[in-house]
Amino acid sequence: MNTSGSTPAAFRRPSDWTKHLFILLLLGIELLPLYMMVQVSLKDNAAFIRNPWLPSSPADWQWENWVHAARLVLPYVSNSLFVAVTGTMLTLALALAGAYFFARSRLPFSRLLWAAFMVLMMLPGIANIVPLFSLLKEMSLLNTLYALVLVGVAGGQAFNLFVLRGFIEDLPRDLFEAAEIDGAGHFQQLVHVVVPMSASILGTLAILAFLNKWNEFLLPLIILRDRELFTIGVGLIYLDGEYVKQWGQIMAAYLFAALPLLILFAFTMRLFVRGLSQGAIKG
Amino acid sequence: MKPPASRSSPAAAFREWRLYLFVLPSLFLVALFAYFPAASAIYHSLFDWQGGEAKQYVAWANFNRAWSDRVLWDSFVTVAFLVGFNLVKMLPSIALAVVIHRLRSERWQYLYRVLLVVPMLVPGLVTLFIWKFYLDPNLGLLNRLLDATGLKAALVGLDRLAGWGVFAEGVPIGWLSQPQLVLPSLFLWGFPWIGAVGVLIYLAGLQAIGTEVYEAAELDGIGPVGKFFYIELPLILTQVRLNLTLLIISTLQGYGLQLLLLGDTGGPGGRGMTPGLWMYNRAFIAGEFGYACAIGLILFGFILALSLVNNRYVRTRR
Repeated sequence: MNTSGSTPAAFRRPSDWTKHLFILLLLGIELLPLYMMVQVSLKDNAAFIRNPWLPSSPADWQWENWVHAARLVLPYVSNSLFVAVTGTMLTLALALAGAYFFARSRLPFSRLLWAAFMVLMMLPGIANIVPLFSLLKEMSLLNTLYALVLVGVAGGQAFNLFVLRGFIEDLPRDLFEAAEIDGAGHFQQLVHVVVPMSASILGTLAILAFLNKWNEFLLPLIILRDRELFTIGVGLIYLDGEYVKQWGQIMAAYLFAALPLLILFAFTMRLFVRGLSQGAIKG
Repeated sequence: MKPPASRSSPAAAFREWRLYLFVLPSLFLVALFAYFPAASAIYHSLFDWQGGEAKQYVAWANFNRAWSDRVLWDSFVTVAFLVGFNLVKMLPSIALAVVIHRLRSERWQYLYRVLLVVPMLVPGLVTLFIWKFYLDPNLGLLNRLLDATGLKAALVGLDRLAGWGVFAEGVPIGWLSQPQLVLPSLFLWGFPWIGAVGVLIYLAGLQAIGTEVYEAAELDGIGPVGKFFYIELPLILTQVRLNLTLLIISTLQGYGLQLLLLGDTGGPGGRGMTPGLWMYNRAFIAGEFGYACAIGLILFGFILALSLVNNRYVRTRR
């Protein structure tokens, strides 16, 4: 195609296919769990042991696996959805208000308060888990989903405050001044100036927060006792212990555990990739 | 840094007191669920405490016990290995970001960025269980792969030469059940160790390089490796350092992976026992909450010291 030969583009052309090969190899291995999950979920054990790698023919697909898995896992999925959705919304709402405080003012104690939040980001929470358990016990929050929401919201504050403060500080000051002249108070400025301007970063942060909460399993494992309250993490851990033999059913259950993420990403993939690719979260 | 909207004075505080309400909810939650438990951990580390109402003051007994606790010392050695492994595991993400960045076609770059995100659709726990299943001795894909490619025979041969006594003909390799293989399995775990968010953030940093920089480098006869060290690495260094710090902290206190792969005793021979897992084990298996608090604090102090050293010598650019 390009025969001039001296452009920088042509310089790098000959080796590009090795780059593609390298990338595809790595991505291929990364995508293997997804592939295995889908194709094994439609096999029974005999078919799986005979032929673990390739999908079986559509005539042999074991849809019962999916039915079984749906019955088993969907209650856990709905619990996780409650925790992740309310948790994500609360995390961002509180962090946005807090970030507004730090970005828009230098009041007495604000430096101290900022340090108090930022310390949490760099310091390990490891020593906290045992007293947290007894605190939740005293608050009668053990074995409830609210405990997961509240602890999750508290845990997400430092990181989201950090990102959102930087973002609000970078907004044009004229916007705030114009709003003030129009008589807008701080709350109105937050709702009518900051929120509309930060839709994209809030979207990226929301996806990250949702993923985080969806993947959480240690705290739920420690505080949830009743099977009806299990989130997807605890549910899968118990499943791993129980149905060691039926790989097809297990993989189908995994697939259903991933379903909300598949739906979420189908709608927001573009936003998410763009948000991270623009360096929205530089850390 | 822009000039602040209001000056830090008591008068300003009086005029703008409503602003404090904005930060109050966050502050309240953090105080209750982060600071209070931390203070409580310090307090209870001095007690013999089963988690209930009854507790007995024992002064430094928990810390003295930790000092002579072999399991705890060994767990620190294990976690040091894990930190080393994770440092190596950072490299593929950097390499992948650089290679994607060097592609000429923007269209392909975008496609790969999207493909990178797709594995994130699988919840972390599911990936963990699927890896556990890769490592299964009889059904697992790793053993099947080694058999099919003849690598198993090579390993058995090596074993005979070196006298490890780990690999034998006709015996499936128990990746998670043979003590000697626990650490190697934890190293292998997650191959090829791509962190999608990390790669995307590195790519964002690399975007700042204009094509003219590459052209100038090529005129100067700088090869692909030189380009990495002179042009690309400096641009993502801040992010790499930050990731490094966070990675070390999270590895040191991590125990979720070990708990699920190997169980609460750290697997065969306790080879996968980390300080965090030992703390979990003491608290929720043995009911020794006071001692668990002491272990948590020792680990906390260790990480704090490391962070301070890190902040001093590995300054991140803001």
